[in-house]
Amino acid sequence: MQSKMKESEPILEVENLSASTDNLPILKGVSLTVYPGEIHAIMGRNGCGKSTLSKIIAGHPSYNITNGDIKFLGENINSLEPEERAQSGIFLGFQYPIEIPGVSNLEFLRVSTNARRKFLNKEELDTFDFEELVKEKLEIVKMDHAFLSRSVNQGFSGGEKKRNEILQMALLEPKIAILDETDSGLDIDALRIVASGIKKISNAQTGIILITHYQRLLDEIEPNYVHVMSDGQIIKTGESDLALELEKKGYEWTDNFIKET
Amino acid sequence: MVNENLVKDVVKEPYKYGFVTDIETEKIAKGLNEDIIRLISQKKEEPKYLLDFRLKAFNKWQKMKEPDWAGLGYKQIDYQDIIYYSAPKQKEKISSLDEVDPKLLETFDKLGIPLTEQKKLTNVAVDAVFDSVSIATTFREELAEHGVIFCSISEAVKNHSDLIEKYLGTVVPASDNYFAALNSAVFSDGSFVYIPKGVTCPMDLSSYFRINSGDSGQFERTLIIAEESSSVSYLEGCTAPMFDTNTLHAAVVELIALDDASIKYSTVQNWYAGDEEGIGGIFNFVTKRGKCLGKRSKISWSQVETGSAITWKYPSCLLLGEESIGEFYSVALTNNLQQADTGTKMIHIGPKTKSTIVSKGISAGNSINSYRGLVKMGTKAKGSRNYSQCDSMLIGDQASANTFPYIKSQQPNSEIEHEASTCRISEDQLFYLQSRGIEFEEAVSMMVSGFCRDVFNQLPMEFAAEADKLLALKLEGSVG
Amino acid sequence: MEIIEKIKTNKSIDNQTEIQKICLDKLQSSPLPNPKSEQWRLSNKSKFSNFLGYSLDEKYPKFDTPFPNTSQSTIRLVIGNNCQIDLIEENYSIQKLSQDELDKYIKVQISCFDPNKNWSDLLNLSLSNTKNILGLKINGSKIPPIEIFSHSSSNSLNAKTLVIFLEKNCDVELLQVNLGKENSSLSQSTYFCLEENSSLNHGVVSYGENRSNLLNSLNVIQQKNSKYNLGSLHFKFNYARFEISIKQSEGNAKTNIKGMQITKKDEQISTYTKINFNGPNGFLDQINKSLADDESHAIFEGSIIVPKIAQKTDASQLSRNLLLSNLAQIDTKPQLEIIADDVKCKHGATISQLNEDELFYMRSRGITLPEASKLQLSSYFQEIISFIPVSKDRWDLLDKLLNEK
Repeated sequence: MQSKMKESEPILEVENLSASTDNLPILKGVSLTVYPGEIHAIMGRNGCGKSTLSKIIAGHPSYNITNGDIKFLGENINSLEPEERAQSGIFLGFQYPIEIPGVSNLEFLRVSTNARRKFLNKEELDTFDFEELVKEKLEIVKMDHAFLSRSVNQGFSGGEKKRNEILQMALLEPKIAILDETDSGLDIDALRIVASGIKKISNAQTGIILITHYQRLLDEIEPNYVHVMSDGQIIKTGESDLALELEKKGYEWTDNFIKET
Repeated sequence: MVNENLVKDVVKEPYKYGFVTDIETEKIAKGLNEDIIRLISQKKEEPKYLLDFRLKAFNKWQKMKEPDWAGLGYKQIDYQDIIYYSAPKQKEKISSLDEVDPKLLETFDKLGIPLTEQKKLTNVAVDAVFDSVSIATTFREELAEHGVIFCSISEAVKNHSDLIEKYLGTVVPASDNYFAALNSAVFSDGSFVYIPKGVTCPMDLSSYFRINSGDSGQFERTLIIAEESSSVSYLEGCTAPMFDTNTLHAAVVELIALDDASIKYSTVQNWYAGDEEGIGGIFNFVTKRGKCLGKRSKISWSQVETGSAITWKYPSCLLLGEESIGEFYSVALTNNLQQADTGTKMIHIGPKTKSTIVSKGISAGNSINSYRGLVKMGTKAKGSRNYSQCDSMLIGDQASANTFPYIKSQQPNSEIEHEASTCRISEDQLFYLQSRGIEFEEAVSMMVSGFCRDVFNQLPMEFAAEADKLLALKLEGSVG
Repeated sequence: MEIIEKIKTNKSIDNQTEIQKICLDKLQSSPLPNPKSEQWRLSNKSKFSNFLGYSLDEKYPKFDTPFPNTSQSTIRLVIGNNCQIDLIEENYSIQKLSQDELDKYIKVQISCFDPNKNWSDLLNLSLSNTKNILGLKINGSKIPPIEIFSHSSSNSLNAKTLVIFLEKNCDVELLQVNLGKENSSLSQSTYFCLEENSSLNHGVVSYGENRSNLLNSLNVIQQKNSKYNLGSLHFKFNYARFEISIKQSEGNAKTNIKGMQITKKDEQISTYTKINFNGPNGFLDQINKSLADDESHAIFEGSIIVPKIAQKTDASQLSRNLLLSNLAQIDTKPQLEIIADDVKCKHGATISQLNEDELFYMRSRGITLPEASKLQLSSYFQEIISFIPVSKDRWDLLDKLLNEK
């Protein structure tokens, strides 16, 4: 079931994807298609495979694709390196952003931004120009300039780390952003900042996948589709009211579904 | 330091196992030579391969030098002044416990290890070793029902010769080190355990080693084999009377774990430690090693070392099987002039192997307490991990605590992490506890016990209580 | 033994100094280090004999450093090249030690040398002739940074010795540079005596070339209230040993050490440190980093000795190691020997490769694997390099390390 206005080509097509880590199957045939301008939400219990799906799309080396394909802008990306995927416009917002002691946040942001710009045949930015750009983007997530001189995520609070993720998304201008529990660990104010940041960055050409447990992020950003995952499969897909129903009835309610299709 | 002397008093140790059992024993002449070895072998009615094993080991031992790398200071051992076989005189063949000399039963009663049918410990099968021989093994029939073999090693030589021939000396070869070679030449008794495929041993197995004569050495040998998907928890306890001479104890323990098997080996070592001046006490030179041969096999050593004048002991794991696991949890408490040089070797050979080392050393008096360990990642140990933590607690300003971790890696895709720290019982902590109405002695005991908690948690239930009691006993003193 | 014979038959035998004689005598009992001793058991035997194999003759090719030339604000000395220095300024003075002062000090040091443990020093002093021993006493403050070079010429085994007294309340930054020429061996021994309240920021950069070898020994005595900071870097040697011995003679002193060794190809570089607290209230913060790539071997052995007299010592030692190749190996052994009970001592060691989570995080932002590794390495190096005095602004060591092939 796809929406009505489908003249354009899909950004992301996940086709019957199965994957494992250490010979342990995690994904068991997931299919998902995202068109420009769409917002998808994936919900499900801990351990259902939502985070794994996001990592595999981003190319995490710990997982093996055992079956199926991931296509980005029509091209199969199964064997691309993580950095190639990032450069071509796939963005993963980490559930637990990694701390990298000793590597300056500013340097990190600049190198990654330039890697993306190079791919887009845009001019690479020197330190001075980059400062200008980043200043503008900092506004979106209401972050202080002082964050730039610290090591990547080191000593950042939970909310600061998540805002740093959105800052990276703003700089990299991805075609598709997969945000893995970006709302977890945020207070109401931080959630609003993050949500409004996401809305500012996304547009009619980009796709967004929100992975979340809770309705509250979806109150801020209304999804076009809601998918419920369980045991490595998508067991139900609906529109935004599905999330509301899920919130009311709990995941136990979904236990009764048999996989559709 | 207001409390320093008090703390010292508190750790003074009353040794309550120091009595001697007055029993007629059969001893062979002092000294060590090929004839003595033949005699021991003959007394035990051993097959030829075993005599050959002994003679070969003796041959190697003669060419070896006593190790000095641990820098232990002790009086030179005169190997010709030791009796290598000593056994209480008993009837030739004992068919039941009732025929065991009541004095022996009484001895083990006094040690808290009752052996008779009426009083024996529930849920623990015990093999009681007195000087050079095994006296009795309880719960044999019950174990046999599950196919578990638990008997003295002498008996195993007679009844399960194929297993002995297949496994003896495969984990600790006779030429491994000086004391292992000596043991291989003259070992007298010890325990043998065989857990068949798929069996979870229905109760804990335990050996209790008692040295009684002052001039005999004890050279026991233990062999535990856990077949595929089996598991066993084995406990070992040791005590000896107070003599003003030093007695040599050189044991060898070999463990073998096949696919998915698990062996947990716990020791509470409380040999006589010598007096305050360092007179007497056991020289404890022990080689313990486990081979994780099978995939996902696991060997876990836990030890509480409080006795012996000298302890030289490194229970180790050879991690061959993929995803096998080695563990070492140790508490070593030294006082007066005791010296303990103990630790472990974790040799990661197979891929995805894991090891954990937790060592807690407490040194008081003029004692020396050293952790010495080796962690090695071989070239094929891809995806392996080790974590080590070695903490020392110093009581008084005469005791020493040393840490010597040897760490070697040849595999980039592996991780080794080692941490060590030193602390003492702070006056603030003591004051805090005392201000809540806790007696000084109890406060010290609580803190030492807390310091050791991570290790005690690894001991089987029966032993954890005993270890706590033992430590409290060591800490029990004449504080007014 | 061979090396002793070689020294004896060397043409400088006729005018051998008394110190050379004493050291040769001591070496007679231990002509080679004991390969089974803790300090030498991991040492690569064929590399070590390669170290000893070169001719003892000194050649004097034109000495040119791959490093920036002297700047006005820096004092530069090259051991062996007629270092005449006698500076007496308003705030400070730098003077040569008299032959008497020098001999007396060295003799005291030798008297407590163990033929095995101090083998490198004994070899050095047996080889070093008067010309190659530089002794200085430094006094005052606001002293310009000092750079001291040692080098050996190609196809030779040369020895250089440095002795420096830092007089009371003196405060100085000093960088020692050891340069190994192609196919050469350098034996460098350094002695520092930090008097009360003095402070030394000491840098050691040992930079080899093809197949060069180094035996570098550093002996530091710290009197009370002195402060000694050491930042060191050893790289590009076929074989190098860095032996550090620091003694806080009365405790109450501060020592900070940040050292690093980088091995590639089939190189072997090792660091041995021994820190002795001979009095109360001593402080040590030490970190040693190794990076081993290709088929190389990096070794660290550290020992901290806290006797009874050293109450309230606060010592910490960390060994951080990166193993980057399947054929490389790393050995590390941080040791504590403690008798005093009221002390805070800890040590730690890790061996791993570059952090995979960090790498993936960077790659997921479009940074390529080599770039991400470089970023990680540069932060790994930076902690040490920023601690090396004088060099950090001028020499761009980080760039040398990251772009070294």
